[in-house]
Formats: sequence, C-alpha cells, structure tokens
Amino acid sequence: MKALRKYFTVFRISLENAFVYRSNILGGLLFYSLFIFVFFNLWRAIYQEGQVSGYSLTQIVWYLCITELIGFGSRSNIFHQMNDDVKSGSIAYQLNRPYKYVIYQFFNALGVMVFNFLICGVLAIILGLVMVGPIPGFRFTTLPFALISVILGIIMNFFILMTLGLTAFRLEENIAFYLIYQKLVFMLGMFIPVEFLPLWLQNIAKWLPFSYVTWAPARLVVAFSWDLFWTVVPIQILWVFVAIILSMMMYGYGIKGIQAHGG
Amino acid sequence: MKSLGKIFRLIGLYFKVNLASAMEYRSSFLLQAFGIALSNASFVFFWWIAFEQIGGRIGGYDFRDVMFIWALTSSAFGASNILFGNMNGITRLIVSGELDTFLLQPKDVLVSLLCARTSLSAWGDLVYGFVLMALTHSSDGMAWIMFLGGTIVGGLLMTAISVTAHTFTFYFGDASLIGDMALEFIINFCIYPQGIYHGFVRALMFTLIPASFIVHVPLKLARSFDIMWLLIMLGASILYCTLAYWFFYRGLKKYESGNLIITRM
Amino acid sequence: MYVIEAKNLNKIYRARIKEEGIGGSFRALLKPTYKEVHAVHDISFSVKQGEILAFIGPNGAGKSTTIKMLTGILHPTSGEISVLGLNPVAERQKLSYRIGTVFGQKSQLWFHLPPTDSFALLGAIYDIDKAILNKRVKEITELFELGDLLKTPVRKLSLGQRIRCEVAASLLHAPDILFLDEPTIGLDVVVKQSIRELILRMNREQGTTIFLTSHDTGDVEQVCRRAIIIDQGRIILDQPVKKLKYDYLNRKIIAVRFDMPRHLDVPEGVKLEKEGKTAARLSVDTRIRPIDDVMRWLIAQGGVADITVSDPPMEEIISAIFKSSGGVES
Repeated sequence: MKALRKYFTVFRISLENAFVYRSNILGGLLFYSLFIFVFFNLWRAIYQEGQVSGYSLTQIVWYLCITELIGFGSRSNIFHQMNDDVKSGSIAYQLNRPYKYVIYQFFNALGVMVFNFLICGVLAIILGLVMVGPIPGFRFTTLPFALISVILGIIMNFFILMTLGLTAFRLEENIAFYLIYQKLVFMLGMFIPVEFLPLWLQNIAKWLPFSYVTWAPARLVVAFSWDLFWTVVPIQILWVFVAIILSMMMYGYGIKGIQAHGG
Repeated sequence: MKSLGKIFRLIGLYFKVNLASAMEYRSSFLLQAFGIALSNASFVFFWWIAFEQIGGRIGGYDFRDVMFIWALTSSAFGASNILFGNMNGITRLIVSGELDTFLLQPKDVLVSLLCARTSLSAWGDLVYGFVLMALTHSSDGMAWIMFLGGTIVGGLLMTAISVTAHTFTFYFGDASLIGDMALEFIINFCIYPQGIYHGFVRALMFTLIPASFIVHVPLKLARSFDIMWLLIMLGASILYCTLAYWFFYRGLKKYESGNLIITRM
Repeated sequence: MYVIEAKNLNKIYRARIKEEGIGGSFRALLKPTYKEVHAVHDISFSVKQGEILAFIGPNGAGKSTTIKMLTGILHPTSGEISVLGLNPVAERQKLSYRIGTVFGQKSQLWFHLPPTDSFALLGAIYDIDKAILNKRVKEITELFELGDLLKTPVRKLSLGQRIRCEVAASLLHAPDILFLDEPTIGLDVVVKQSIRELILRMNREQGTTIFLTSHDTGDVEQVCRRAIIIDQGRIILDQPVKKLKYDYLNRKIIAVRFDMPRHLDVPEGVKLEKEGKTAARLSVDTRIRPIDDVMRWLIAQGGVADITVSDPPMEEIISAIFKSSGGVES
C-alpha cells in the first residue's frame, strides 16, 4: 500500500496541475465541439442519401462523441515526452529514482487524462443531447460496463503510445510510427465504425489492436450487448497487458543500452 | 505595383534561404513530408468507405469533387506554410520580443516576419495535393487551372486569416489560442462538402471563416466556369489580405507605443 | 558633430492590468484598468561621432527602453530624438540602413545554416550590391578573424563564436552607429573579453560610433570613454569613464577561503567586510592598493584554498553616487 502512495501522489499533483492551463482547457473544449459539429453535419448529409449498415444517425453521432472523447481523454503528450526524454538523455536521470519509470509516467499522465476525460465527457453528453437527443434503447444499467471498456481503451492507447515513444532509444526518426498508429486508430474505429469497412478488412481489424481503442468501447455505449461485451473486453485486457509489457521491455532494453554505453 | 514587386522579391529571398536550411536536414525533411502525406491519405480512405456505403453523392459532391477540395486544401495549406512558416507563430514572436529584429530591418515587417521560417512537413501537404489531383483529375485542364490558382489564392487566404487572428495579441494579449482555432476551423470547413452546412454556418463560410472562397468556389468554377464567381473570389481574397495587412500594422502601432505589457495583479 | 541627440525624452507605459483567472481576463477585456509606469524620465543627452558611450544602470532602469526609442522600435511619449539627423519615429526604415543592432540574445543568424548564408540574405535585405557585400564580408572576416567559422552551421558554433558572427552580421551594411544591448550578458570571461576587443577594434578602424548598454561594469571600464548612468528612468551621472573609474569604480571585492581557521590583519586600503572562521570578504580600494599587491599579501598568509575577485554590483555604485552627490536615494 505504501509503495503505491508515490504513484497516487503524482497522480494527484498532475490532476491539480491540469487545472492551471486554462487556455488549454478552453482550447480542448472548443476543438472537441468543432470536430463533433463538423462530423454531425457530415453524417447528417450522408444519412440523407441512405441508410448505413447497423447504425442510426443518432447512434453514429453518439458513437463519434465517444470515440472523440477517448481521443481527447487520452491526449497526454506521452509519445512526444518519451521521445524528448530519450533523445535529450534526461531519461538517464530517472534511473536511480525509487519507482518504476513506466508506471510513474502513467500516473503522471493520468491526472491530465482524467481531467480531459471528465470535462470533455460533460461536453460530449451536452452536445449529443442537443444535436440528436438520447440514444434509443439506452439503459443506464449497462453504462458502467461500457465505461470499463472505455477506460481500457484509454489505457491501451496510452501504453501503445509510450512504447512507440520509447523506440527513440533505437530509432532517430520514430515520428512516422506515431503518425501511422494514429491514422490506423483513426481509420479502424475513431472515424468510421468497423462495421462500415469491407468484410475482408473487418476480419483483419479483429486481429489488430487499433479497433479496440475506440470502436469497441463506443459500440458498447451506443448499442450494448453482453455478447459483444464478453467478446471485446477480454481482448482489450489482453492488449492492455501486451502494451504494458512491451513498454516495460522497451524501457528496460533502452536503459541497458544507456548503462552499457553511457547513453 | 512596384512595392508588390519588392514584396515578391523578399518572399523569394527568404524562400531560398529557407530551402537551404531545410536541406541541412534532408532525411528528416523527407520523412516528415512523407509522414504527412501518409496521414492525409487516411482521409481518402474515409471517403472511399463513405462512398462505398452510400454511392452517389454526399452533400451534393461526388468522390472526385471531394478529392478536389481535399487536394486544394492540402496544397494551399502546404504552400502557405512553406512560404510563410511563421504564420502560426506570430503570437510567440510578439510576446517574446523577436519582432524587434524585423522592426530594425529596412524591409516590410509583416512579410519578413512571415517568411523568416518554413515548415518542413508542409512540403508533404503541398505534394500530396498534386498527387491526389494527378490520380483523380489527370486530364481535366480546367480543374488543374483552378487547383493551381486556388493553391495560391487559398494559401494567401489562410495566411490572412492566421495573421488576423494572431494580431489580436497586439490588442488583447496572448492570442495563440485564437490563432490556432482560426486555422483549425478554416481547415475543418474546407475538407468537407459545402452542402453539409446550411443557413448560418454556410454564411460564416463566406465571411468569418472564408473556407468557401478557398476550396468550394474553385471547385464550382472547375466544374462550370462562371466569371462572376471568379471575380467574387479574387475580390474577397484581395479584401481579406488587405484587411489582415492593415489590421497587423494598426496593431503594430500599439506595440511601438509600448502599451502591450500585461502585468498580473 | 552629434550623431545622436535626445531632448527631454519621456516614456510612460500604460500597462493593462489583468487580474488572475478567467473572470479577470473577461473583466479586463470589457473594462480594462491601466497602470502608468514612467520608464524613462525626462532624459537628455547627445553622442558625438566616433564616440564609445556606455549607457549603464541596473536591470529595469530604462536602458532597453531608451535604446528601443533611439532605434525606432518604441515611440517616445514626449521629447525629441534625432539619430543621424533622422527622426526614428517617422523615418525608421530610412534609419535602419544606417544603424546596426546587436540585441542581447536575439539572433539575426539562421540556426541551421552557416553564417555566409545569413550574410547573403542580410545583404539582400539591406540592398547591398553583391560585389560590395563580398568585399565587406572579406573585410569583416579579416577584422574579426572569422575564417572558417563562416562555413560552419551556426548550431555548431560556440556561444562566443556565434556572438562574433552576430556582431559581424550587424556590420555588413557599414552602419554609422552600432547599438549593442547587453552584448556580453551570459558570456564567460574569455568571450566577454574578445567581444570587448572586437568593439574597440571596430571603432578604431571603421570609425563606427558605439552605443552600448550594460549592467556589467567591466564593459564600461574596458571599452568606453564616456558613461551615462541611469537609474529609475533618470540620468544620474554623465561623465568620462576615466573620472568614473577614479570616483566610483575604484573598488574590487575579494572573497577568500582558507583551508584552516585564520584571522586577518588587513593592510591599508583593504577593508574587511565580513569574516568567518575560514573565509572572508574583502573590499579593496585600488587607488591606494593595487589588486596584485593584495593578492600577494593574501597568498603570503598561507593556506589559501580559493579566491574570487569581482566588481562591486551596479547597485552599490549607484548608491555611492547618490551618497556623494548628496542626493537622497528614493
């Protein structure tokens, strides 16, 4: 318990710190509203042309509210921070600190993420209600289960980004990884539900982590089913573990390099 | 006219130095440009899926129309950020006092300021537009004319909007948020069919957020040329650039009078 | 012939006061409240052609504001300025062809490029003929001993080398006056010294008038012939450096540390300001006792572990001026 106190403390401090950057907060809210507004108009226009498989307009708007919320809620700058820490060599100074670096960084970012998630969450509900009204057939009893999936998505996203950031140990130009990852998340869920993709692509997406960051949780919020829950949540948990282990391995591997060659 | 010629010469000068500077980092430069082009490509994927699902038109545009506005937005953004790389950093330059350097030089302050930096990744945006055009409009002469002309006019418009937004720093203090917002709004309203918006928002796109003059009007012209719309578009662009220029120099007077310093109580 | 003339110069900033918080920002937007800051208070002075003038004072004394007014960046609230016969407010652009500026840490050089490239751009900005520019660059390269530095990207230069190139860049258009705002700030002793020599050489060989602000007394002693001291926006002293040196820059501060406890009996001209068991702070009147005398005496005490010699801070000099002029320090 005592060992956890330091992580909790850094979480608390980063949460308090998040309140300080008022213009960042305002900017976040405005950008979030902008994206939702634009997508709302776009999908409304699309639905005027015809029905899209598996989602009503109300559902798709809420779906986007949730995927964007996950996007904003896990906006933590972790990739760039890892990248800078490794390249500037400041990561070496963290070696002799009595904490697990990877876990520490997670809690450090968690404050910002929780903060962004909460304020954008409130905004998401308001925007969704104003634009399309409540989701038909929505039940509050299943929401907590859907939220588990949302949280898993955010954690997964965080550790994947961290792993990618830590590749800076070996690769000078790793920004391409970041862009490619972002766009894959974007194409395989954030922007378009997986159900819209051609069947062959859906089959591929099932085996990749990207859809489980935004598609699975958002789908559970707008159209909950226990079947889906028991299918996707175990997979999410699996990916979360894989991502955490990868980031720790990446870190350990990089640190060994520093200790052997002095950075 | 003579002074416009001078401004073009100055832009050209800075462009050469900027390019030399970019070449110092050739591999990073290429990688960044490539990464941006790749990330833009994901939007094509989105549209491909959307038109697969629906077929026909979305917001009055077919697939080629959407590709045209995408290509134009991308290239106009690229061109403006290559030539005027500082357009997103005006607030920072004012607040940090780096503006002084340009005040001490005998050339146009705003132009020197804008040109003194370039964006590497913007080359990716610029080239991406051309690739998209080549793939979707290979032999459509009118579309190419509108695309090339639109890249210049649209690039200037984007710069004008960004300058205007950042110039608020002279009046109210740090306006970096307004600056970022302005560009983000412009781009987001550029990359979707005009037809998805109605009423008030549509009106905004011809006024406060002149996205329509950047992409939608050129598209209209490429599909069926109309001299009236061409003149309106050119007139609007000149108006916006002139306004941005005037607004900047008006704000600069405040800077020179030294009444900018904001102290916290 | 005077190249700079300032008469009854005043600068009053009207600073907007902003309260903390979003609410505060909002109120400030609707109904701004202002606070007046009198940064420069009725100052007058003139500078002759070929002079090297130091404009000195503590931080926030109004030095930078004055230099900005002289170069046209800031407009004075009232008063008259004439620089090379031009009015900086109305004729900034015309003036800019004839003055050079080195402003602290603000760079005119492109970070990723060798200085030659920046020089070429500056040459074009200042409308210098290519042939003339080449000749000029050659001249300055020799004068400043830049040699290969010109071909090295600026990011690879040391701070001292960079500043040398920075000064060179500001001289390409052969300005009549060079304004330097805190040119040696943040530099180490060796680099400081080379910059000072550079400034002197330029003045000697090109006849450039130098207007220099600093809060480093070393800059003044070694470079300038005349000094204006400014404090809280007012000129409190305007005299030759020789006299200033004799009257006020006549002390050095020595901090010494011994490797065992020791008691010091100081000779004449040395004052013991503070004494600990193994350390002491001494103030030396260099008119009575040269500094090398004192050092020899200290070493003779034996067991010296560390010695630092420094100039008294500007604030002390200013309060000394106030005391001697019978003025009351505000």
